[in-house]
Amino acid sequence: MANEEIQITNSYLTFQLHNERFAVHVSKVLNILELVPITKVPKSPEYLKGVINLRGSVLGVMDIKMNFDFPITDYTKETSILVLQVMIDDDITDVGAIVDSVHDVIEVDEKEILPPLSVGIKFKSDFVTGIIKHNEQFIMVLDMDKMFNTEIKSTMEEFS
Amino acid sequence: MDSFQKKFIEEATDLINNLELAVLALEQDTKNNELIAEVFRIMHSLKGGGGMFGFEDISNFTHNLETIYDEVRNGNLPVTEDLLSVTLSSVDHLRNLLNADALNNEHIKKNHEILFERVNAILQKKGAEPKVTGDNQFEGETKSNLQTIYIYFAPNESIMDNGTNPLYLIDELCSLGTKSLVFPRTNKIPMLSRFNSSKCYTAWEVFMVTDVSLNEIQDVFIFVEDESEIEVKKIADFDALANEDFVEKIQELYQKKNHFDPAVIKSLLKDIANQKKSVVATVNEKLKVFTKENIIASIRVSSDKIDQLMNLVSELVTTQASLSLYVEENQVYELNLLAENIENITRQLRDTAFSISLIPIETMLTRFHRLIRDLSTEFNKNIEFITEGAETELDKTLIQGLTDPLMHIIRNSVDHGIEPEDERIKKGKTPQGMIYFKAFYSGANVVIKIQDDGRGIDLEKVKQKAIDKEIIAPDAKLSEREILDLVFIPGFSTAKNVTDVSGRGVGMDVVKRKIDEIRGSVELESKENIGTTITIKLPLTLSIIDGLLVVIGDTKYVLPLNLVNKIYAYKHETFKDAFNNIVVVDGEQIPFYYLRDEFDIPGNPLKVEQLVLVKYEDKKIGLVVDSVVGEYQAVLKPLGKLYKNHEIISGATILGDGTIALVLDTNKIINEFSFKN
Repeated sequence: MANEEIQITNSYLTFQLHNERFAVHVSKVLNILELVPITKVPKSPEYLKGVINLRGSVLGVMDIKMNFDFPITDYTKETSILVLQVMIDDDITDVGAIVDSVHDVIEVDEKEILPPLSVGIKFKSDFVTGIIKHNEQFIMVLDMDKMFNTEIKSTMEEFS
Repeated sequence: MDSFQKKFIEEATDLINNLELAVLALEQDTKNNELIAEVFRIMHSLKGGGGMFGFEDISNFTHNLETIYDEVRNGNLPVTEDLLSVTLSSVDHLRNLLNADALNNEHIKKNHEILFERVNAILQKKGAEPKVTGDNQFEGETKSNLQTIYIYFAPNESIMDNGTNPLYLIDELCSLGTKSLVFPRTNKIPMLSRFNSSKCYTAWEVFMVTDVSLNEIQDVFIFVEDESEIEVKKIADFDALANEDFVEKIQELYQKKNHFDPAVIKSLLKDIANQKKSVVATVNEKLKVFTKENIIASIRVSSDKIDQLMNLVSELVTTQASLSLYVEENQVYELNLLAENIENITRQLRDTAFSISLIPIETMLTRFHRLIRDLSTEFNKNIEFITEGAETELDKTLIQGLTDPLMHIIRNSVDHGIEPEDERIKKGKTPQGMIYFKAFYSGANVVIKIQDDGRGIDLEKVKQKAIDKEIIAPDAKLSEREILDLVFIPGFSTAKNVTDVSGRGVGMDVVKRKIDEIRGSVELESKENIGTTITIKLPLTLSIIDGLLVVIGDTKYVLPLNLVNKIYAYKHETFKDAFNNIVVVDGEQIPFYYLRDEFDIPGNPLKVEQLVLVKYEDKKIGLVVDSVVGEYQAVLKPLGKLYKNHEIISGATILGDGTIALVLDTNKIINEFSFKN
């Protein structure tokens, strides 16, 4: 029952990283927070920004912009944290992802999502699972599970 | 499945565990009547419960075993090796039978039949006649050899001069009986002005119900016989104290007179003797009450509920911290006292809740006893398993995580460590091998040691193997310690032949990983032909720790308080100018780590900084922080998957103002930094 519902929901949350728009399926998003002070964890890689207090539990936060070759800019009042539910090592885990700004939720028909191009795009397409053409603009759909898992692996390599 | 069946399965699992324990104990002491009775009682309960809740297989299966142990109990059957091994196999089988469909499984079914046959064989061989024993059993229960004894003990006034404490004697005396009533006689105590506190003026009169002989009772007083007035006599052939009237009467007499009049007692007893039948009834009733109380003394709670309780307590601790912070910041005098009280109560509640989730290590020892017994039979080795500190308590989650690695270690000891008997004799060792299991508290840790007196680890062989597997270079120069540590590297296993028991490729590396998972550490020591010792160190707590809250830069950190030794304030220059990161504190050279630099924290250091001395192994190491806030009860929360390989931080905790403090694992920090330097 629950599964069916998720399948028939074709809503995507769109957000901005630098000057590109991205989308993530709403079933992955638990919450959107404004930027709160982040407690830095010493001796951790730069893209792991630290931890925040999410209603009494501790949430790890990552700056996903660093996964792409975007320039690093200061945080603004638009900067937000998406609380996402991802699979890491076969466990469902909550993580925070810092994005430059959050736009809106769009309804997209499954058929309108185009496969990602393997050539000719300017950044790593590893995490891009599809492209939505919306109001004459291209929006890239991200695979958050994959993104966070890739990061964890590279973290492990760094520490070992 | 209906809830009654679930309940039965829970109970039966307990019963079966107890059965296993009792049978293993019986093996050591085959003449122990209490154990035999225990085994019988468990069989009986299983049979009854099984029948009642629709586990017919269990009921049928235990029926014959029950009969056998009834015979054993009545002395018609001896406790034989065969019987014990059948019973132990039955223990496993009974566990299988708890699964309702078990007999649909070919393998289990076959086993069932075989065991059934074996049980029958034992029963048949001795030609037991269950019907007759039924009657015997009834009589055996009602006829007891309990007797009531009266003891008068008036020690010499100077009895305490030679170090005898008469109260200990009374304690010892009472321990001989099943019940006793002690009446101290204090009428000889002089006026305060003449009272000498080093003299004993008290005499005692004791009524005791016991089955030991008068001589044994006399023996309690063997060292004070000459200087005391002692009288021991039997006053009844039955348990007079079970009679409430009697107890009431003698208590009345005690109030009135300075000494019990034998004649009065005698007539009292005569009265009861006439109602002897009703006395027996009371005894039985009392016993029932007694067992009932025993059950209520501990109750069964699902571990979910305990987890829930722990979570709530954790939240309470956090909330209480907010309250304390508020009171401190706003200086509300009226609230101050309340906040302090709540802090106190929370602390106590936390400790109590925590102790609930602790269980003694003993709970897993049965499995090890069994494992060693089974394996020694299989490998034809003679091994004694000695345990110490079984009462040491650990968090239940730790025990769960520990069982598998410990099983593996013990398997290794039996399989590879302990030599066969003839080999041991050749080496001049005792024919019987030994595995020694010891658990004890050490500071903030629980330490578990498993020691065997077997072959030990052949360092050359380990080294050669590591070279073969290209783990180390052929010309590598390694210390003894480093060679032993190779054993923990994944994919390493020294067993020449893969046996059923150990050496299946999963080796010590898995043990190490599992123990790392529960934040423990493992160490290996070995001397060839003397034996191997494995030491496992575990943290006491997992969820809440007493911490010291410190600040570095704009982040707060928590150090485990039990590791903090002392705190000193020094000028920044002291650390900046220190040679080789060593400061002299109270005439002692202390190596230190300057955490602001080690953690790459930006910003300017304070003029005066704090040196926190923490215990590390048996040394003291300094950690330099900006400032110290104070003690703090930290509810440990995991940092989450993103930081799962981040060893120097053991978790985070949420402070009263909602910000996060990171809990530092000082041992790991010192390890990491000392390794780096």
